[in-house]
Amino acid sequence: MECDKCGRDAVMHAGYSGAHLCESHFCASVEKRVRGRIRKDSLVPRDATPEDPEHWVIGLSGGKDSVVLTHILDETFGEDPRIEMMALTIHEGIEGYRDESVDACVELAGDLQMRHELVTYEEEFGIRMDDVAREDPENMAPCAYCGVFRRDLLEQYAEEFGADKLLTGHNLDDEAETALMNVLEGNVKQMAKHFDASLGPFDERHPTDDFVPRAKPLRDIPEKEVALYAHLKDLPAHITECPHASEAFRGEIQELMLDLEDRHPGTRHSIMSGYEEIAEMAADRYRSDDGDVDLNECERCGSKTMRDLCRKCGLLESLRAV
Amino acid sequence: MHVTVEVVGEETHDVSVDDDGTYADLVRAVDLSPHEVSVLVDGSPVPEDQPVEVDRVKVLRLIKGGAP
Repeated sequence: MECDKCGRDAVMHAGYSGAHLCESHFCASVEKRVRGRIRKDSLVPRDATPEDPEHWVIGLSGGKDSVVLTHILDETFGEDPRIEMMALTIHEGIEGYRDESVDACVELAGDLQMRHELVTYEEEFGIRMDDVAREDPENMAPCAYCGVFRRDLLEQYAEEFGADKLLTGHNLDDEAETALMNVLEGNVKQMAKHFDASLGPFDERHPTDDFVPRAKPLRDIPEKEVALYAHLKDLPAHITECPHASEAFRGEIQELMLDLEDRHPGTRHSIMSGYEEIAEMAADRYRSDDGDVDLNECERCGSKTMRDLCRKCGLLESLRAV
Repeated sequence: MHVTVEVVGEETHDVSVDDDGTYADLVRAVDLSPHEVSVLVDGSPVPEDQPVEVDRVKVLRLIKGGAP
C-alpha cells in the first residue's frame, strides 16, 4: 500500500480519516497536529519576548508520551527565544521500573541540552510507591495514591521553577477515557474543572491564581500514533508497564472505547469535540453559580485545598499510621 | 491461510485467517485491539487495514505511560 502523498510504502492507516501515510508523511502529520493544537489553545502568549520569555515546565516521565512531547516541543521551540523550557521528572519509588525510565529522561534531556530536574517521593514525602502499594491503608488502587502525590509535586515544583505553564503528554486516548469516565460517573463539576484546568484554550479559560495552568499538546494524537512516532524516530522511550498499574475503571472504559473506535472509526475524536463543548458550558455554569471558590491553605503543607487538610497530607497521615 | 503472530514479550500464536483477511483481523484473533498495537512485518510497521501477505508478523503492544 502506497502513501497517499508520495509513492513510498505506507506504515500506517488512520481509520478515522482514511489516510495511509509513509514514515515521513506520518511524522510530519503528527507534528503538524501538535503545532496546530498549540496555536488553537494559544499556548504562546502574544506578549512573550526574548527579554521576558514564557516559561514552560514539561512533565517528563520517560514513557513514550512525554518523550514524544518533549521532542516535538524542542523541535518547534528549541530555538525560539520567547520560550524557555525545562523538564521535570518525578521518581515514585518503584524499584526497577522508574529507575529505567529516569535513565530515558536523562538521556533525552542530555540529547536536547534541556535543563532537567528530578524529585522523588522518598525525599519529599519519605515514602516509596512499592511500600504504599503493599501497605495500602485506604484500600485503594496504587494509582489513586500515586496520582495525588504526583500532581502535588508537579504543581509545587512547576511553581518553584517559575513555570507559566505545565505541559504534560496526555494523548487522545487518555483524554477521551477521562471524558467518558466523567460522563459515566455523572460528574459535571469535574468536567467544569477539567475545562479550566487543562482543556480550554488559554484565552477562554478562567484560571485561578492558585494553580499553574496546564496544557496537553498531544491531546489530538491517538495513543497508537504517539507510540509509532516514538518507534520511528527511535526516541529513548522507556517501554515497561508500571508493576502497580491497576486503574480498574479506566481499564474497562479503555476496552469499551477501543471496541467502539474499531467499529466506528472517529469515536474518540467525536467524544472529545462534544465533551469540550459540554465542559465549557459546565465551566460557565459553575463559575456563575458560586463565583471563585475560596480555597484554604492546608494546615500542614500550605497548599490550596477546600478542606483543612489537603488530600496529599491526609494520605500521608494514614500511611504513617500503618 | 496460517500466520504466526508473535506478541513481543508475550506469547506466539498460530492464527488462521481468510485469504482476504487483514493485519487487523490477525490482531483481533489474538484478542487485542488494532488500536493498542503496531503490526511489524520484517521489522517495519504496516497499515492494519491491508490484506495479510506474509506468514509471520510481530505485534508490538503499546505500553500505557501510566503517569505523564
